[in-house]
Amino acid sequence: MNVRTSLLVRCALALATMMLVTLSAAAADEPPSLAADVAAGKLPPLAQRLPATPRVVDISRPGWATGRYGGELRMLMAKDRDIRMMVVYGYARLIGYDEKLQLVPDILESLDNVGNRIFTLHLRRGHKWSDGQPFTSEDFRYYWEDVANNKDVSPFGLPRALLVDNRAPKFEVVDATTVRYTWDEPNPQFLTALAGPSPLFIYRPAHYLKQFHAKYVGLEKANARAVAAGSRNWAGLYQKLDEQFRNDNPDLPTLEPWINTTPLPTTRFVLVRNPYFHRVDRMGRQLPYIDRVIVNITDDKLIPARAGAGSVDLQARYLRFDNYTFLKQSETRNHYRVYLWEKALGSQVALYPNLNVEDPVWRTLMRDVRFRRALSLGIDRHEINEVVYFGLGQESANTVLPRSPLFRPQFRTAWSTFDPKRANALLDAIGLTKRDDNGLRLLPDGRPMELIIDTAGESSEETDVLELIRDTWRQLGIAMFARPSQREVFRKRVFSGKSMMSVFYGLSNGVPTPEMSPSELAPTTQEQLEWPMWGQYYEQNRKGGEKPELPEVVKLVGLYGEWRRASDDSERERVWLEMLAIHAEQVYTIGTVTHALQPVVVSDDLRNVPADGIFSWDPGAYFGMYNVDAFWFDTEGR
Amino acid sequence: MLLYVGKRVLMMIPTLFAISIIVFTIIQLPPGNYLESYIAELQAQGESVDQQKVAFLREYYGLDKPIPEQYVRWVGGMLHGDFGYSFEFNMPVTKVIGDRMLLTIIVSFVTILFTWCVAFPIGIYSATHQYSWGDYGLSLVGFLGIAIPNFMLALVMMYVANVLFGTTIGGLMDPEFIGKPWTLEKVKSVLEHSWIPVIVIGTSGTAGMIRRLRANLLDELQKQYVVTARAKGLPPGKVLRKYPLRMALNFFISDIGSLLPHIISGAEITAVVLSLPTTGPMLLNALKSQDMYLAGTFLMFLALLIVVGVLVSDLALVALDPRIRLTGGVAR
Repeated sequence: MNVRTSLLVRCALALATMMLVTLSAAAADEPPSLAADVAAGKLPPLAQRLPATPRVVDISRPGWATGRYGGELRMLMAKDRDIRMMVVYGYARLIGYDEKLQLVPDILESLDNVGNRIFTLHLRRGHKWSDGQPFTSEDFRYYWEDVANNKDVSPFGLPRALLVDNRAPKFEVVDATTVRYTWDEPNPQFLTALAGPSPLFIYRPAHYLKQFHAKYVGLEKANARAVAAGSRNWAGLYQKLDEQFRNDNPDLPTLEPWINTTPLPTTRFVLVRNPYFHRVDRMGRQLPYIDRVIVNITDDKLIPARAGAGSVDLQARYLRFDNYTFLKQSETRNHYRVYLWEKALGSQVALYPNLNVEDPVWRTLMRDVRFRRALSLGIDRHEINEVVYFGLGQESANTVLPRSPLFRPQFRTAWSTFDPKRANALLDAIGLTKRDDNGLRLLPDGRPMELIIDTAGESSEETDVLELIRDTWRQLGIAMFARPSQREVFRKRVFSGKSMMSVFYGLSNGVPTPEMSPSELAPTTQEQLEWPMWGQYYEQNRKGGEKPELPEVVKLVGLYGEWRRASDDSERERVWLEMLAIHAEQVYTIGTVTHALQPVVVSDDLRNVPADGIFSWDPGAYFGMYNVDAFWFDTEGR
Repeated sequence: MLLYVGKRVLMMIPTLFAISIIVFTIIQLPPGNYLESYIAELQAQGESVDQQKVAFLREYYGLDKPIPEQYVRWVGGMLHGDFGYSFEFNMPVTKVIGDRMLLTIIVSFVTILFTWCVAFPIGIYSATHQYSWGDYGLSLVGFLGIAIPNFMLALVMMYVANVLFGTTIGGLMDPEFIGKPWTLEKVKSVLEHSWIPVIVIGTSGTAGMIRRLRANLLDELQKQYVVTARAKGLPPGKVLRKYPLRMALNFFISDIGSLLPHIISGAEITAVVLSLPTTGPMLLNALKSQDMYLAGTFLMFLALLIVVGVLVSDLALVALDPRIRLTGGVAR
């Protein structure tokens, strides 16, 4: 009896000490800026704010170190709307890319994927919104039933990434932290859409938004509230408040590392740390390290000057490559350094022969692979690189970049060396041997070969490159004219087949992994400038546009289908490589120069910013992929 | 008098109506619309655009409607105080503009005071001491003020202020005060920053006013009544104040017409360079991004101020100068 009691007492004592230790440890690890609120009882202690299993951010990168708390990160943006970039940089996603472009669960604790058809999402137990309310499967149900499938809020139906052949998934709530989406056919876009820079938000802070939703407060009350707030009806107000991406509603709870506290319009946004953020460093201390983010709004032309004057801690947006020398000059005086990150476009400027052009003579030519190859061989990419990009770019066909596991050197060099002799031989072989008095080749129907290239008329970079191409194509006996127009007109001309050839940037994702969609390589949408009508055919489920005729294009369509149905990565990789090989050989798009650089200004005190990175919208979310929440200020040196 | 005012006010209606048509047409003249320039901007930064969302916005904003219908909606709304919706800020236009109005009025008001305080003594001095060294020197400074472009002066001053006094570049206060309630510290910060825009915006106005005051005063100083007054032995200061200066001030009052809109939108380019939180840059951005209701409302407001300002200055002239009669244009 006695022994028993003392044992019990001892156990209790041990337990109490343990608890004390953990408690004090937790108190010590409390971010200092929150400690006062916690002590005053305004905030629960750290252990109650973090999910049961927080996400541990532990990155093995040279120079990486766990940080110290505190500081203000200053950035510049040009427009009030740009506050959305903080959702991009913050990059809290259900599932997101890491630095190696692998998808890893972030907000989710784990994810089960059966054949890209059945996705079971497991939330972190105890995860909370930035206002302290629990984040549960109810937030998913609310989105599914009351937002996505509500005709007033979403008049255009479900987002496209949720549809497979126009069919919606089956949505189930399994328990408070588990939801499941089931499609009949594989939906490989689902995960990449969740990981996007402007992600597919399939959850909402239901507890907050319900107070504006007609279903929960009644139509009359919701409408009255909306009219009082200056909107037409409740759906209008609802749309305005429910903008997780726009980030312009300070009252909307969030899961991002920093919460916007400033309503529009303003010239200075203040974002404060989210006390319920779900990531910790390897010591178990809650991220982000930096307490506040200040986003000042200024004219976009002033941003390079102000960055150079040292009024930012981290800036890449609105800095252009031609600011580099200026920025570099005041590096030491204003205590920052300039990194050059790589942009991830397949090609800075690419030409798109329109295979659906109206003119039958040109159409035959455009569809002749020899003609496209000749055009590509007739471009002096070295000259373009030297003249327009100071020799810092890389001459390349429009294909993936060396950073991608799908890169093969032969894709880059295929038909992309300057060889006018061979190009002329190809053109002769097509039978374009007759020339007019000016040395221009004649089309089969006797017209001189005058190729007109449409541009969206926005960038002088495009026109500079075209100017150089014009000179070398003249050696092939082809006259080229640029036709600048306005974007809407430009697209309409291309879609309707009025335009022979257009100029735009190349592959928008130059660093794909096998699990990212190769939809850019096969006709999938009307937006594709090389085959708008074939793209439209598949976009509209074989109802509009034209059915592709070229066997290689048909093969691309088949391969894309294979990729969608593929069950493992090696299969997907095979499909990707095959598609890239077809593109390299067939030259559907003509690339010029890639590997353009993006200057990134980083304060001397800011740590954990990689010196060498890719600056890419999707995948990558610009800085998002590099964990801005783990950047920190080392002020000890000062 | 009342009849005259009534007629003038009635005349404003067709004037403003005509202006509204012109404004709307000009805003619509560049190809495309707000959404197109928005897409272009996103794509220039390498971001993707959700075409579904664009379709939704096009319908929600009514941009798919024919232009005459959009115009009727806009004007109809304005008649009962609804100035439309700013696409850029996703809120009613009145809310967007309201916030910036106060600071704009402060800056403009201080600038005008600065202009008057500097221009008046100098103008009088150079008229009364015509062709003296002082006149030449001050005129030279005045010409420099007119000749140097405002934005250039702004850039130079900004650099000087940053290097010499460590004032942050741009803005009307230190960043930490933005959006905070007004405190003594904030007022100090505003004062510290506002002298640059005041001087920059003020210089060209000052120079112009010096020249006009000098010219008008010189005209009057030659006249016989001045000679008579002098001959009668009036002290020179009194001569000047009592007659020619008052005559020379007419231009000053008729300036009110153009001064009123200036208070609201003065010096857009300078404000952009200095990134002042005033309405000028907002108007410029609204025009650039074809945020048509915001831009349209701005321009209509400016037009209204001009029309009202001209009326006010006409009435003030009548009140102040007995030589001016209202009857001229109206009689017959």
